[in-house]
Amino acid sequence: MKPIDIDDVLRSALRQEVAETAAGLDGLEERIVLELGERRPRLRVGEWMRQLIAPTRSGRIGQLSLVGATAAVCLLIGFFAATRFSLDGGSPAIRLEPSRNADGTQEVLFVLPALDANEVSVVGNFNSWEPTTLSDEDNDGIWTASIPLPPGRYEYAFVIDGRWWGQDPLADEYVHSFGEYSSVRYIGGGDGA
Amino acid sequence: MRVARRARWIGPVVLLLVALGLSAHAEIPLADYEAVLLAIPVSDLGHVLGAIEFGLSQPDFPAFETMQYLDRLAASRYSAQEREALLSDIVVALEEGLPIEGLVTKGLEGLARGVPAAGIQQSLHQRLVLLAETRDLLYAKGIFSVAPGSPQSVDTALPTPRFNLLVTHISDTIADYLEGGGSPFEGQTLMQEVRFRLTSLEGAILNATDVELVLKRIEPADLTRVALSAVS
Repeated sequence: MKPIDIDDVLRSALRQEVAETAAGLDGLEERIVLELGERRPRLRVGEWMRQLIAPTRSGRIGQLSLVGATAAVCLLIGFFAATRFSLDGGSPAIRLEPSRNADGTQEVLFVLPALDANEVSVVGNFNSWEPTTLSDEDNDGIWTASIPLPPGRYEYAFVIDGRWWGQDPLADEYVHSFGEYSSVRYIGGGDGA
Repeated sequence: MRVARRARWIGPVVLLLVALGLSAHAEIPLADYEAVLLAIPVSDLGHVLGAIEFGLSQPDFPAFETMQYLDRLAASRYSAQEREALLSDIVVALEEGLPIEGLVTKGLEGLARGVPAAGIQQSLHQRLVLLAETRDLLYAKGIFSVAPGSPQSVDTALPTPRFNLLVTHISDTIADYLEGGGSPFEGQTLMQEVRFRLTSLEGAILNATDVELVLKRIEPADLTRVALSAVS
């Protein structure tokens, strides 16, 4: 047999093999994508929490702001839902707006999520900028204080382990004061209150 | 019998509560101010004491907050000169019959934040200028103050505490705006800020008719003029 004939035979055999395999290659790309999709790792709740509290380059306040913002959004959604819906149809739900006392003051709730904090207080023009301590009795990182205040405009900031933090997500507005932020709440009154 | 026994306690308890309430609202005697001024100390005690005495005669003088400010000033780490300087703008405001609550609050905040004395003094001075200019603006717009209890001859003559609240909040809004880096030439923005502040406090601490009166009479250009006086 001539060498050229051997070459032809080999080519022919290869063509036949490719033709037989080609049928099995139909839709291969789609199948691979589908398979990869099924095997893609899903972020579990535990993993998500670990990532959330992992150290960041921005340091402690960076973590706080991330966790704080998440908690604040959850709180706002919770408060909104609580003010809109009531499970038993009659009992008072959690209220975002302050409750009014007999002497005209209103119980104003100050809330700050600060997971790693040891001490949180609030300072403002209602306490002559002297700290009023917030409490976290169930150690869930949500610090609260209810302070009776007469109607008016109140500037304040939180102090987290000695560091001032002037941006309360629940504030009505923010102002610059001595190069830092202060939060503002309007109690009672018109549009902004 | 048991009721009668309990009733015997009610009288003293009520008296005790009343006494406690009265003591909480009792005026701070001038001698207490004198004592703390000596601790600051001030170079012209009679002058400062005279201003405070005048303030005490005003219905809206923030006696408790002023005493706290003086106390903290006396205990502060600033030099005697700086401490006296941090008092000077408040004394001027008292002498000119301007409301000092905003100044005292700002001073207390500066002390609490540990701001250098020069920073607090600059903020207080700017606010003093704005208080005076805002009052002059209201005068120019025909809005006046009358002593409480005096007959209100016209709608634009407001009892002093109500007038002073307007002055305080308008000037405070402009001061906050400038401190936040706002331009005095943005009159419309300034006007929005003032409108928001006043309407937010309407019905809470500001009289609705007073707010309406002011918002009808002042214009963005007026606020620009007031703001410029504090930065020039």
